[in-house]
Amino acid sequence: MGRQMAMVFDLNKCIGCQTCSVACKVLWTNQEGKRDMWWCTVNTQPGRGSPRDYEKMGGGYDAKGKLVLGQLPSPEEFGGASQFNWSQVHQSGGNGQRQHLQPTKGEPSWAMNWDEDEGAGEYPNAYFFYMPRICNFCSKPSCVEACPNAAMYRRDDFGVVLRDEKKCKATQQCAQACPYKKIYFDAVTSTSQHCIGCFPRLEKGVAPACVRQCPGRAMFVGFRDDHAGAIHKLVERYKVALPLHSEWNTEPNVFYVPPLSAFVVRPDGTIDESQRRIPLSYLESLFGADVGAALQTLEAEMAKRKRGQPSEVIDTLIAYQWTELLGPFDRDPATIQW
Amino acid sequence: MATNQEHRLSEDGYRNLWKWDKVTWGCHAVDCYPGGCPWRVYSKDGKVVREEQASIFHTIEPGVPDMNPMGCQKGASWSQQHYNEERVLYPMKRVGKRGEGKWQRVSWDTACNDIADAILDAVQEQGPASLYHIGTPGEGGTQQILWSNFSAQLGFQVTDLQAEINDFSPGIYTTFGKFDPAPGADDFFHTELVLIWHANPVYTNITWYHFMQEARYNGGEVVTIAPDFSPSAVHADYHIPIDIGTDAAFANAMSQVVIAEGLVDWDFIKKQTDLPLLVRVDTQRFLRASDVSGGAADQFYWLDAKTGKVVEAPKGTLNPGAIDPAIDGFAHMTLANGSTVKVRPVYALLRDMLNAQYTPEKVQAVCGVHPDTIRTLARKIAKKRTRIMMGWNSGKYYHGDLMERAMMLILGLTGNWGKHGTGARSWAVGLNDGMYSVLLKSQAGSEMTLATRAMHDATIQSMMEADPTLTDELAHYEFERSIMQMIGMMTPPAFFWYHHCGYREIWNRPGYNDPEMKRSFDDYFKEACDKGWWTGIAERAAQTEPRFLIEVGGNLLRRQRGGARQLLEHLWPKLKMIVSVDWRINTTGLYSDYILPAAQHYEKMNQPYSSPMHMHVLLIEKAAEPPGEARSEWQIIQGLAKALEARAKARGVQPWPRKSGEPVPLDNLWNWITKNGDLADDVKLIDEIFRDSAILGTIPADTTLASMRKQGAVRAVGWGNSSMMVCQQSPIEPNKTHTPWRNHVEGLKPYPTLVRRAQFYIDHDWYLEAGEELPVHKDNPHHGGEFPLRLTSGHPRWSIHSMNHTSSVMLGTHRGYPVMYMNPDDMEARGLKNDDEARVFNDLSDIRIRVRRSPGTKPGQVVIYNGYEPFQFKDWKGPENVEPGMVKWLHFAGGYGHLQYRGLHWQPIPIDRAVHVDVAKGSVAEGRTITGEDLAHSLLTSTNHANP
Repeated sequence: MGRQMAMVFDLNKCIGCQTCSVACKVLWTNQEGKRDMWWCTVNTQPGRGSPRDYEKMGGGYDAKGKLVLGQLPSPEEFGGASQFNWSQVHQSGGNGQRQHLQPTKGEPSWAMNWDEDEGAGEYPNAYFFYMPRICNFCSKPSCVEACPNAAMYRRDDFGVVLRDEKKCKATQQCAQACPYKKIYFDAVTSTSQHCIGCFPRLEKGVAPACVRQCPGRAMFVGFRDDHAGAIHKLVERYKVALPLHSEWNTEPNVFYVPPLSAFVVRPDGTIDESQRRIPLSYLESLFGADVGAALQTLEAEMAKRKRGQPSEVIDTLIAYQWTELLGPFDRDPATIQW
Repeated sequence: MATNQEHRLSEDGYRNLWKWDKVTWGCHAVDCYPGGCPWRVYSKDGKVVREEQASIFHTIEPGVPDMNPMGCQKGASWSQQHYNEERVLYPMKRVGKRGEGKWQRVSWDTACNDIADAILDAVQEQGPASLYHIGTPGEGGTQQILWSNFSAQLGFQVTDLQAEINDFSPGIYTTFGKFDPAPGADDFFHTELVLIWHANPVYTNITWYHFMQEARYNGGEVVTIAPDFSPSAVHADYHIPIDIGTDAAFANAMSQVVIAEGLVDWDFIKKQTDLPLLVRVDTQRFLRASDVSGGAADQFYWLDAKTGKVVEAPKGTLNPGAIDPAIDGFAHMTLANGSTVKVRPVYALLRDMLNAQYTPEKVQAVCGVHPDTIRTLARKIAKKRTRIMMGWNSGKYYHGDLMERAMMLILGLTGNWGKHGTGARSWAVGLNDGMYSVLLKSQAGSEMTLATRAMHDATIQSMMEADPTLTDELAHYEFERSIMQMIGMMTPPAFFWYHHCGYREIWNRPGYNDPEMKRSFDDYFKEACDKGWWTGIAERAAQTEPRFLIEVGGNLLRRQRGGARQLLEHLWPKLKMIVSVDWRINTTGLYSDYILPAAQHYEKMNQPYSSPMHMHVLLIEKAAEPPGEARSEWQIIQGLAKALEARAKARGVQPWPRKSGEPVPLDNLWNWITKNGDLADDVKLIDEIFRDSAILGTIPADTTLASMRKQGAVRAVGWGNSSMMVCQQSPIEPNKTHTPWRNHVEGLKPYPTLVRRAQFYIDHDWYLEAGEELPVHKDNPHHGGEFPLRLTSGHPRWSIHSMNHTSSVMLGTHRGYPVMYMNPDDMEARGLKNDDEARVFNDLSDIRIRVRRSPGTKPGQVVIYNGYEPFQFKDWKGPENVEPGMVKWLHFAGGYGHLQYRGLHWQPIPIDRAVHVDVAKGSVAEGRTITGEDLAHSLLTSTNHANP
């Protein structure tokens, strides 16, 4: 029996800085063919996400367990731009201010963080929050089943889902089947691409770059079956971390601590401390029916701390030692000799 | 399930991407706080591949989270900026018109000789005061400080970076005589009530925001006070949607509640503040010994509640001894001239003012916050360990000083500073005193360091002996002021702007200033100069035309309020040479005559600025050779020094006097700056600095470059003698988070203000004339003109200043072009849809920018986060073009205790918040007049400027 690596993203700590996305970009997707892809993305919610409107594209399994091939996101729906007209700006040769910095292929109409900080609500009761997304390391990965060339596989040791690029024939059916639309296409190597769970790092006992480099200390990694670990406590024991869109039936292994938000301002300007701004229905649309209970647990445990009482779940979320976030993958990569 | 072996070849492709052959210590010596994040830099085949946070900080206080992994997305992609297309690789000389974009690659010798000649020309024509080094924190640390010092030693006017960047907190300074309390980031875990107020830490404090959330998890509360639902309201329990620029009224209303409900911390205000000091009812001035007995003008009085007698308030301690200072009531006092005057404590005046003008009900009409909310928050502040998480937003408002004074007042009334988890928050650098000692000493080695220190200590001691009431803190500030004056290290740029950059006309526009001003701006300006409040500074700027300007890692045309509009028209034509030293080509570089290529962060030995916020001193190692011909700043300086020697000799130029009066050693410049070559090498210099810091006691005694190469960072063990560290006034404890000002609160040590206490009452002539003797609310003036919207901004998420906005990686993390946030109702009223290009305009200019639909932006507000390169905008016109760049006239006040110039402290600072603008769709706004910037552009393209 293999072991499942899993992650928890605490949306009360995530500040949308994209350090996770950048750490991943610099390590894995900084070559020709991959420059426009971001295996890790953080989006302002509510929002249309990345790729645009991915939640409407379909994939995963239906209620009867049948594989669903959804829509293949277009390059335009992923969007972004990585090449700019530097020489025109810097060495315009007489054009001066007539050239400003622009993407060489024209202005994009979408990008991975396109609707940053827009959010929803009506002033003063506006609201939003940040949500990072990577591969969900699904226990029932629809991408694996969808691949007609048996290029996709799930590794026993960590439960990460990978692609054998020698076998990939660029059908992109994996991307159609992935309901989270986290699979990209590299036109240079003619292969599909997605987050690899930083398996080369896991193999050396080092946490994935997104987790280890998260300055918000919002990301936890560990094995699901490690009962002493943070993942088990947050997901199984206290149930404050929930999967995203579990109704897509792929059994994802990335879990989210749902966000609290500011109290509602009433029309007369007073503050209603019984209501927070993010509608529960919206959170339920992301994290399912249990999200209300998770939020109640969080509030109750925070209230315990306010009264000076101990709380294991709060201590776990605080993670007094940063290495507590890394589970068993706490090795310092600088100590590795190649 | 497949086996690993079957897919090994495919997997190996990824394994090979995560390999390296060299690991070094890295950091980014930039101006962010706390900054100084320790990184590991991974290189392969002589090139930097990537970096990752080193995460080596240990827990300081048991039970408080540690600081790992410090480092943000800019840091995590800095390696990519080493090899970006924006990088400058060779010395570049302008061959077309300025700003035209025609460049020629030249040799270092040619560049240094040309620049040396331009410096000598300027000195011969106008004198050394025509040489300007624009003070910025730049991209520097040690390498930056070396250049500022080099320029100062040549007699340049090195402008005070505090005014250039305006990260000053004038109201904190007015209250405390210092503005720079910098608590440990981990000290926020002790805070029970975090007020995020005039700050956006979700953008600007990415590396340690977690402490605020961890404090919230731990039972604390987070309140964000901002007109917009700012990104830093995302994790707040309360968002207070205050009206723009009304924070002083809001704070005063909370103070009124605290007083009215009997929640004042009496013991605290009696000891720590000026609230018990007596004020004459007839003149509104403090009662002084000079009134009473012909004694000192800085001896003040209070009323002993036990005896009813008026007695001297001690200057040398905050301990009232047997006296119980009254905070209310009045007394009659017979003066030396025989007259009798009525005197009242400041507290009584304050309370009367608050009750008359600042009840929550009255203030609701000003700030739009419900009285219940004001009361709720006031009670929380009174009961909880409260810290205001401020940035430097308030200080960029016209009346930001009043806002900050009012914010400090509510903290003072509730006893909220000098205790763990409480207080205000600002920035401070230091802890690496070797950075300064290597500049001051005349030769390398520990003997000179010890001698320099002995001289310093003896001077401080004799000052304190001469005046036993003087604290070591006050003595330090005095000493540093005299040293800085001698070296000419910094000069407030306000006078340069006034005389040479066209601001005189703008600053005199009546509608742009406080309508309550009794006299014209020029009238006050002239009085400030005539009274000698800015002696040695004002005349120097007035009497000399600027001829030479150098920016080292800075970007004047982006940063300057008024921007290119103001500078290209007024300053540029006067300059014979403009030099940009940088690793990239920024907008200022594009309008320069020379761009010199500097080494990037991982391409040279360096030390970043160190801050009490994490208390560590770090090493940056050279990981790889710079590409092209880029060099470290220290090596460029040396090349320039040699060229100056050679050109001066060839031209027979005689040495000119420096600020200290001594002649510049023109024939021996290189020997002089390198200590006879001993510190010419970057490695030797950095080693010497660590050794000096160890000798001077800021880092452990055995620290050397070799030990730093092993450990990367070392926790400071002493504050040393730099003023921003002396300001902290707290013990450094190995197992405790740092909270500033414990020496004042626990040790009852006086503050460095005129009255030696936190001073809420300022009886300077001008303050009385302005009605600002106490913290009052005043409406924001309509700078920019009569337009219905107000433009606010703040530091961006994606860049430290403009350094990272154009990084190839960072451009992909968002839209990659400038945007403006706007409320949907305001958009609809103007026919604007999401993503439309809009024109933002006012009296001064108009710019084009995409508009974003933002329900969180307050109606009437538009937000453009700053730092975009002007060349990211059409016509290279960024939002700085619509900013007038006002200064508040009161900040020219001087001759009053702590209200006098001190480097990085009291001086006029530029204002850019709440500029009045309007927004229209697409085409040129109707009724737009030709602006100065249009003129500047036509000038640039029609005339050929001073070719070197």
